[in-house]
Amino acid sequence: MEKSQTAVNTFVKETGAWIAAQLEACTRCGMCAEACHFYQGTGNPEYAPVWKIELLRRAYEQRFTLSGKFKLALGLEKAVTDADLTHWSEIDYYACTMCNKCSMVCPMGINLGSMIHDVRTGLSNAQAVPADLHAAVEKQENEGSPLGVTDAVFKQRIEWVADEWEIELPVDVKGADTLVVFSSIEVMKFPSNLAAIAKIMNAAGEKWTISTKGREVVNFGFYEGNEELTVLFASRVFDAAKELGVKRVMVTECGHAYDALRWSAANFMQVPAGIEVTHIAGVLGEFVKSGRIKLKPGAYDNDGAITFHDACKIQRRGSHIQEPRDILNILAPKSFKEMTPNKEEAICCGGGGGVIAIKDADPIRYAAFELKIDQIKKANAKTVAMVCSNCRLQFTDSVQHFNLDVKVAGLSQMVADALVEK
Amino acid sequence: MNWENILEFARGPFFQVALLVFVAGMAYRLVRVLALGWKPDRVKAKGSRVGGVAVSFLKGIIIWPFVPWVKNTFSRNPVIYLAGGLFHLGLFVVIFLGTAHMLVWKSLLGIGWFTLPLPIVDWLAAGAIVAMIALFINRLVNPVLKLLTGPAEWLNWLIVFLPMVTGYIMTHHLWLEYDTLFALHMLAVDVLLIWIPMSRISHFMFYFFAKAIHGSDFGKRAVTP
Repeated sequence: MEKSQTAVNTFVKETGAWIAAQLEACTRCGMCAEACHFYQGTGNPEYAPVWKIELLRRAYEQRFTLSGKFKLALGLEKAVTDADLTHWSEIDYYACTMCNKCSMVCPMGINLGSMIHDVRTGLSNAQAVPADLHAAVEKQENEGSPLGVTDAVFKQRIEWVADEWEIELPVDVKGADTLVVFSSIEVMKFPSNLAAIAKIMNAAGEKWTISTKGREVVNFGFYEGNEELTVLFASRVFDAAKELGVKRVMVTECGHAYDALRWSAANFMQVPAGIEVTHIAGVLGEFVKSGRIKLKPGAYDNDGAITFHDACKIQRRGSHIQEPRDILNILAPKSFKEMTPNKEEAICCGGGGGVIAIKDADPIRYAAFELKIDQIKKANAKTVAMVCSNCRLQFTDSVQHFNLDVKVAGLSQMVADALVEK
Repeated sequence: MNWENILEFARGPFFQVALLVFVAGMAYRLVRVLALGWKPDRVKAKGSRVGGVAVSFLKGIIIWPFVPWVKNTFSRNPVIYLAGGLFHLGLFVVIFLGTAHMLVWKSLLGIGWFTLPLPIVDWLAAGAIVAMIALFINRLVNPVLKLLTGPAEWLNWLIVFLPMVTGYIMTHHLWLEYDTLFALHMLAVDVLLIWIPMSRISHFMFYFFAKAIHGSDFGKRAVTP
């Protein structure tokens, strides 16, 4: 079968009434473009969110609607070809972080983000995924992590972190309340985050554990839109949680994993009953509010303005908008300053959705980040705090690329460093 | 055949056929979409899905597009917000709150309602026509719209524009005989009614679905839509 046929079949299969109704509601007004950081950053009209779902629309109309069939017969519109897949593979994987800001601008409220995910699923089934992204997916399938954190590496990293920061990291503790699952970005690039989160959990007196089986929270299958592997990677986490008998799974500073496990999993797999999925941002808020941890007020007030970057999957798509702000208002009541726009309307970092894993997407990733630079400059911020390691990776890399005098900080790290010993 | 006959035809049998095509066509479109089946969202909600839907509609109907709360995007493309908003406002007022149209509704539905004074309706009609011209130019020059616009989009524009402009000229008794303009207006309306179910002008029906899906998804996540 031709690749394009595989993709079209996937689109047709995915198109339930909820997708069809949204495709039909689109007036092709183009407003969504103005919400997209990739369009704004580059000016390339092909990065308009509506254009990213063009193949899905064509497949739907040509299969299900009279006007679509009519246009196809008259030659006004073409069927989806293999060349189209190659072309849209770049548009949908390079230039979308699935941040879903476009849906907030759409006068019809069309949820473009989740439809772009459906397009990716079609492209994934047709094997039209950028090579480096797919390589990372395969790596996660075979080694358990897209960044090469094998069982041995994980064990060694955990031991090293425990040693280096003199911190206790409980491993495979049955009957713990909370299973903490880190992302390999933290394990490999921000290991101090492991120590920071451990310190916070210990200080709060939480009965927690990490798992050697469910040790990777990121889900590169979800980025790719590969349904089978998305389920496999999520199962590794849920199976570990079941085996350890925990009450909840806590996603650490990772955005898309939270979207996958908390907000999507129940729709694509059997999720174990009675296990809650939560995010470190929510847990930090809960600990501070209930007094389980105490923070040194004003701990960061003498280091220039601090701003907070809202991650698309944790804030706009995950609702942990207030907790980080409450915490920053304790840590830096005088120097905490908002960027504009912020909260659910925030501008995305430009590196999520697997974009940062694609080398050829670097130029547009940096172009999108220039919007962030503008925001940071306007807020006159010296430090940018965030609760997503993927954002943090994009920030760290881009700050270096543009040679900016800006400190990039994970909120957990800031909290851990400002804990008041009880 | 003179204009009087054409008018009789356009407001008589042709109008009835057009109405029938409109209603049947829209019903077909709706059934066609719903027949694809609805998958329930099994994810445990954090906020209220219903609340999200309510906020989504409230924002859509009351706030947008007159108060552009989405920062950044308004200033980047004000034409589409202002012209798009003015066009829809003018259209709704003329169709539902203009006396002449209300009387058509009354003859169809059997009930009438309050209408606005002619000058207000007239100015809004003029505003809507100007807005449509602005939207036309915008489609010609905006790079994204250039990419998205094909024959269907231009045809949609034209078929919506004709009833508006003939209606306006007719109300002001300009250039042609009243009956001629009335006939042209009715013909344009008939064509529009037939064309709506075949085109994206039907978005007003699917709007309610898309807005509800949007609100429900945001409500589930406890985020303001």
